[in-house]
Amino acid sequence: MGAGTLPGHVRGVIDRPAAAPCGGRFREGFMDRRRFVKLCAGSTAWFAAGMRGAHAASYADFPRVRLTDGQGAPLNASALAKDEAYVFHFPFRSLPCFLIDLGKPAAGSLELSSESGSYIWPGGVGKDKSLVAYVAVCTHQLAYAAKDGSQIRYAAGASALAGRPGTIVCCAHASVFDPAKGAQREHGEARDPLLSVRLEYDPAEDALYASGLAGTQLVERFFKTYKRQLIAEYGAGVYREAVSGSAAAVPLSKFATSVGDC
Amino acid sequence: MGDRINRRDFLKMSSAAAVGSAAVMTGCATAGGGMETAASVGFKADLPRAKGPRLVVVGGGTSGLTIAKYAKKEYPKFDVVLVEKRDMYSSCFSSNLWYAGLIDLEFLADHSFLDAARNNQYTYFNATATGLDRAGRKLITSEGEIDYDFLVLAPGISYDYSRIGVKDVEAITALRTAYPPGFLSPTEHVTIRRKVQEFEGGVFVQCVPSGNYRCLPAPYERACMIASHFKKNKINGKVLVLDANPDITIKKEGFHAAFNELYKGIIEYKPSIEITSVDLEKKFLKTDFESFKFDDAAIYPGVRASTLIEHLGLVDPKSPQKEARIDILKYNVIGDERVYVTGDSRPHPYSKSANTSNTEGKYVAKVLAARAQGKDIGWYSPRTVCYSMVNASPMEGIGVDAGYVLNAAGNAIAGFSPDTKLFENRDAAKGRSTLEWARGLCRDMFEA
Repeated sequence: MGAGTLPGHVRGVIDRPAAAPCGGRFREGFMDRRRFVKLCAGSTAWFAAGMRGAHAASYADFPRVRLTDGQGAPLNASALAKDEAYVFHFPFRSLPCFLIDLGKPAAGSLELSSESGSYIWPGGVGKDKSLVAYVAVCTHQLAYAAKDGSQIRYAAGASALAGRPGTIVCCAHASVFDPAKGAQREHGEARDPLLSVRLEYDPAEDALYASGLAGTQLVERFFKTYKRQLIAEYGAGVYREAVSGSAAAVPLSKFATSVGDC
Repeated sequence: MGDRINRRDFLKMSSAAAVGSAAVMTGCATAGGGMETAASVGFKADLPRAKGPRLVVVGGGTSGLTIAKYAKKEYPKFDVVLVEKRDMYSSCFSSNLWYAGLIDLEFLADHSFLDAARNNQYTYFNATATGLDRAGRKLITSEGEIDYDFLVLAPGISYDYSRIGVKDVEAITALRTAYPPGFLSPTEHVTIRRKVQEFEGGVFVQCVPSGNYRCLPAPYERACMIASHFKKNKINGKVLVLDANPDITIKKEGFHAAFNELYKGIIEYKPSIEITSVDLEKKFLKTDFESFKFDDAAIYPGVRASTLIEHLGLVDPKSPQKEARIDILKYNVIGDERVYVTGDSRPHPYSKSANTSNTEGKYVAKVLAARAQGKDIGWYSPRTVCYSMVNASPMEGIGVDAGYVLNAAGNAIAGFSPDTKLFENRDAAKGRSTLEWARGLCRDMFEA
C-alpha cells in the first residue's frame, strides 16, 4: 500500500504536520482486509504495529474530514467556545473525539508514547495555535463520551479533582490529562496520553480538518470492548464505518445527557 | 470538596491493621519453604503443558483477575493459570446498589472467566486450592496438582465471628445462614436483596466491624441504599447502624450528611457499639451494656485473611486479622520469592477495596515480570478511588481518591499520600460516576 494523496485532499493547507511514512502492517481481528484496503485507498497505510519505544511510530493517516457545526455548516475555528469541548466522531462513526480551544497557544514538538508507539505531538493549530483534538476515550479503563453520559470532559474552569483549570478529567477513576501538553497524564492510574487526533487548519476559510490518529491500538480495544453496545447503538458493522466528508462537532453538554463533574 | 485526609484519620482507619508491626518489611529471611499442608492428591491437574514460566494465580476476584491479565501483558512468556473455585463471576463491589434497584444482576454477573482468559491469553482452571508444597513448587487443588514457577495467592477474606463473641461453629453457621454479612459470595447478596425487598416494617440492623474490614464505606452505603428503598416505598422501617468504631470510618461527612438530611428518622447511627453476643432466637444483638432488638439484619462480624492463608501456613502470627507474612514492598512470602500474597489477604493497612486491589495488582504484575527476568522494580502506591452511593432516588454519590506513602525508613506504609482527596458533597454526577467506576473495573479485568 503506497503513499499517496487522499481523494479530495485540499492542497496548500497550513498547519498540517508531516505525514508519517507507511510502516504499518495489517492487524488481524480489527477489520476485514477489504474494509481496510478501501479505507486506506490512496492513503498511507496506517495501523502501524508500533511496539512501545521500539521505533518511532507516528500518526496514522485517515481520510480527511472537515469539521462542521451541529447543523452541518462549516465550522468557523475562530468562533469556537472556550468553556467546553466539542464532540465529533472520527475516523469511525462511533469513535468520539474532543475538539478543544484552549484559549492560549499550545506549543508542540513533544515526544510522547502510547501503547501504539512513540510519536511527536505537534501542538495546537489554528490562528492562535490553541486548537487541539483527542479521542474522547479514557486510556485507563476506556470510559468515553457517549450520548447517554460522559465521565470524561474538558474542565476549562475549576476542577475539584485536578485542582486547576484547563485539564481533561475522567471522573470514573480520577484521571487527569493536560490537553496543552498532548493530553499527557497528570494524575491517576492512566499511563498513556489520550489518543491525539491530528488537526489541520485552513486559514483561508478558517476551517478545521481531522486527518489522523497517533496510533490505533486504543481504537481496536475500544471496538472490542464495546462491541455489544456499539452494535446495539449503530448496527453491526456500522459502528466501524469510516466517516467521510464531514463530521459535526457539538458541545459536549449538548451531545451527552449528563457530564461528569469532578 | 477536595478535603484531605490527615494522618489521624488514616491511623484511625487502620487502627487494627497493624501498621507498625505486621506490615513492616522484615527482609528476606532464609526460610526455604517446606511442605505446607501436604495432602498431595496424587494426580496432576488436567492442564496443557506449560509453554513458559508458569504463573499460577489463586483467586478470581479483583486482585487475581488483574494480576493474571497484567502479568501476561508485562511478560508474555508467562504461562498463566487462574485457579478459581467459582464457575460464575459476580462482583462484590456495587452489590449494595442492587438492593436499591439501581442495577440489575447482569451488572454484577455478566462477566465470564472464560472471556477474561481468552481475551488475555491465560487459562481459567475451575478448582479449589487445598494445599501447597513450596519445596516442590506444587499447588494442590481439588482437581489435581499444578507445578508452578511463581504462585500468587489472592483468596480474599474470611469472616471472623469471634469478634462479636460467637465462637461455636453451630452458632456461626446459623448466624451466617440467617443474617449473612454480604461481603463474600453472590449467594449472600441474593439473600440480602430478598430480605430488603420483603421487609415490611421494623428494625433492620446493619453492623459495622472494627479493624480493617472489607470495603470501609460499604456498610454505610448499604444503610443508605436500604433506607432509600424504605423511603421510596413508604415502608415503616428503620435502619439501625451499629458501628464498632467511634465514628464513620471513611467519607464521614458525606455519610453523616446523608444520614441526617436524607434519612432522618429512618437511619439511626450508633457508634462504639462492640457486640459481644447474639441471641438468634430472640433476635437480639448484645453489648456489655445494652441490647438491640432487630427484625432483620446483615451482621458483619469482622474480617480476617482467607482461611486458606492460615491453612497454607502463611499467617503472620503478629497479625490480628491473620493476614499473610509477606514483604510489604514486593508481596512475596518472607524467604520465598516464588510465592506471593495479594488482595485482601495482604497485611497492608490499605483499604480492602476493589480499586485498591486492581491498582495493586498491576504493580504486583510488574514485580513478577521483573523477577521472572532476574530484575526488580521500585515500589509505588496503589490507588483507592472509591465512590459510594448515598441516595437511590435520585441517584447521588460521594467519593474519595487516595494514595499511600511509605515511612522514612521505606519499610512500612505510613499513611495517605498528600494528594489524597475526599469528595463528600453528594450529587448526581458522582452517582453516575459510581456506576461507571464499576463498569470500568470490570472492563479492565475481563476485556483485553
